[in-house]
Amino acid sequence: MEIRIDDRKKIAFPRINHYDYAIRYIVEQGLEAKFVLLPPATKETTELGTKYSPDYACAPFKHSLGSLIEALEAGAEVLVETGGLCRLDYYGELQKEIIRELGYRCEFINLAEYMGGKKKEWLKLARQLNPKLNPARLAAGVYEGVKMAECMDEIEESYFKHAGFEAEGGSFKKVYRQFLLEMQIAENKNEIKAGYQKAKQAFAELPLKIPENPVRIGVVGEYFTIMDEHSNQYLQEKLVRLGASVYRFMNVTNCHLRAKASAFLPKIKEYAQYSMGPTTTWTIHAALDYAKRGFDGIIHVKSFGCTPEMDAIPVLQNISRDYHIPVLYLTYDMQDSDTGLDTRLEAFYDMLERKKKVLR
Amino acid sequence: MKKKAYLGIDIGSISTKGVIINDDNEFLAECYLWTEGNPTRATKNVLHVLQEQFDQERYRIVSSGTTGSARKLVGSMIGAQVVKNEITAHAVGTTTLHPDVRTILEIGGQDSKIICVENGVAVDYAMNTLCAAGTGAFLSSQAHRLGVAVEEFGEIALKAEKAAPIAARCTVFAESDLVHKLQVGCPKEEIIAGLCKAVAGNYLNNVAKGKKITAPVVFQGGVSKNAGVVRMFEEELGMPVMVDEKGHLMGAFGIAVLAKESQEESVFSFDVADMEFKTREVTCGKCANHCEIICVYRDGSLIDSWGNRCDNGAVKIR
Repeated sequence: MEIRIDDRKKIAFPRINHYDYAIRYIVEQGLEAKFVLLPPATKETTELGTKYSPDYACAPFKHSLGSLIEALEAGAEVLVETGGLCRLDYYGELQKEIIRELGYRCEFINLAEYMGGKKKEWLKLARQLNPKLNPARLAAGVYEGVKMAECMDEIEESYFKHAGFEAEGGSFKKVYRQFLLEMQIAENKNEIKAGYQKAKQAFAELPLKIPENPVRIGVVGEYFTIMDEHSNQYLQEKLVRLGASVYRFMNVTNCHLRAKASAFLPKIKEYAQYSMGPTTTWTIHAALDYAKRGFDGIIHVKSFGCTPEMDAIPVLQNISRDYHIPVLYLTYDMQDSDTGLDTRLEAFYDMLERKKKVLR
Repeated sequence: MKKKAYLGIDIGSISTKGVIINDDNEFLAECYLWTEGNPTRATKNVLHVLQEQFDQERYRIVSSGTTGSARKLVGSMIGAQVVKNEITAHAVGTTTLHPDVRTILEIGGQDSKIICVENGVAVDYAMNTLCAAGTGAFLSSQAHRLGVAVEEFGEIALKAEKAAPIAARCTVFAESDLVHKLQVGCPKEEIIAGLCKAVAGNYLNNVAKGKKITAPVVFQGGVSKNAGVVRMFEEELGMPVMVDEKGHLMGAFGIAVLAKESQEESVFSFDVADMEFKTREVTCGKCANHCEIICVYRDGSLIDSWGNRCDNGAVKIR
């Protein structure tokens, strides 16, 4: 009898919301390696990350380190960390050291080293991960994985836009959960497409009960914290539960697949003449857009010590003053209790709703 | 037929407040006492005091509300119709009593907030984040250090010729400044005046940053009873700052008004003040998140629970 050993490399990424599914797709279908899909982050992830991180590193560093350690415990052989436009570019290096000092043995790939590099370099990296690589298959896998991210962004957007107004409690969540489950197990582009169309159709058919004074809230802010639900303590979900319609410009589709951030600069030139770094142009543009479209409120999200987003705050204050739109500023560190957040969100929502009731 | 009355309880970290109002928003009974770290007992005491003042022959309580940091616990305890955050409660309370107010400053035991009002409705607010610098807790710990009752702070501060400069941004820095000033022999009243100024300065620099403060200004919360801080605010803002005689009850009043507005009615009995309430924290073991679930028991039977992040941890109430 022939014993077949799965010799595919086990690759892991730090968690970032449900994009794990798209990354899994690219790794398994394109790269034909094995992906370590982690269960949703828990308090334990947070604790692990905090324990081994420098105290002054920002929350995203701690969350992703926690994820990486959990992935190692789950059997990952290759860890991949991404680069970015802020301190993030240095995070891979630092996390590699921390993980090595903890005594784990693994390959560590820091994508920061490949950013802006040539295609040849990327291909070399792919071959390093899978020597039997099929380049055509990789290209298709990447394309379809990105497509999946786009589908997830669209469905997510629709979910947060409408779920606050659902006529039957939990009906949107049910569809959304099913959709995510299908993305998690999708193995080809037809399955992605089918899941997406099914969810879209189901959302369109669900009855809505739009309240007398519907509240629309736009969420803007720092890349990781705003997108990763575990990091922002399910901010958008909480707002939806209060009955608000929630919009968020920041997602992979809008940031990486559509217009470049620099394309927005002319649109915000009254408030900012030049780019202030990583995600600030997106933040300011989205906030200004929400203000102009008559949203009821804006919530600004950042991790503690995030300098670029801190720089965006005075600009948001100007927008808030000019357009009479209240802005709630939230700063996240590794806090555990939801109470403070609940109080602020409830107060914010109540205020917007009462304001609408009285002033219109 | 007995007239309708509405009960509001505001359970803060430091003090617990209770009021009963009628349909015309008049106070029928009021009470203010220390929480002393035990919201259940404090609420019972408040209810006992209210019961004594309350004319049960003419009025009956048809609706009740709770606010403040222990609102959830006490809400399920007394079976409140409305459980709302203190920001909404304060905004509603103040705008009901002072319809023309434009800015509400509030400094409580552990939090401070600003509420901007237009046409009698809150349009913007901010609350202190991350740290409790410049709140009542800071003043009382410093009062303890100086050997002065915190209630006397205001009067002493008003006697000072000038305020000693004390760093306003951070409580830790303020404290080292204060120790330094004491050791070089600065008069106590100047230091106390300096502390009051630091509280006002900290508030305006942090909580009220970027918010437009327009008259009329109402200042409330426990710290508003401190005449020294009130004067410092007036000096910094260059406008009169109003302190309502009932300012400390505003949260409880606001939630009572909200209970009235809710138009949900049910029978309320003062008997809850004599029942036994217990809370138990249970760690959910159904996933690795280990949520802490709070279970509230009345006379031994479970009446409410919360704290679970997902449905797996939901505790059924029989």
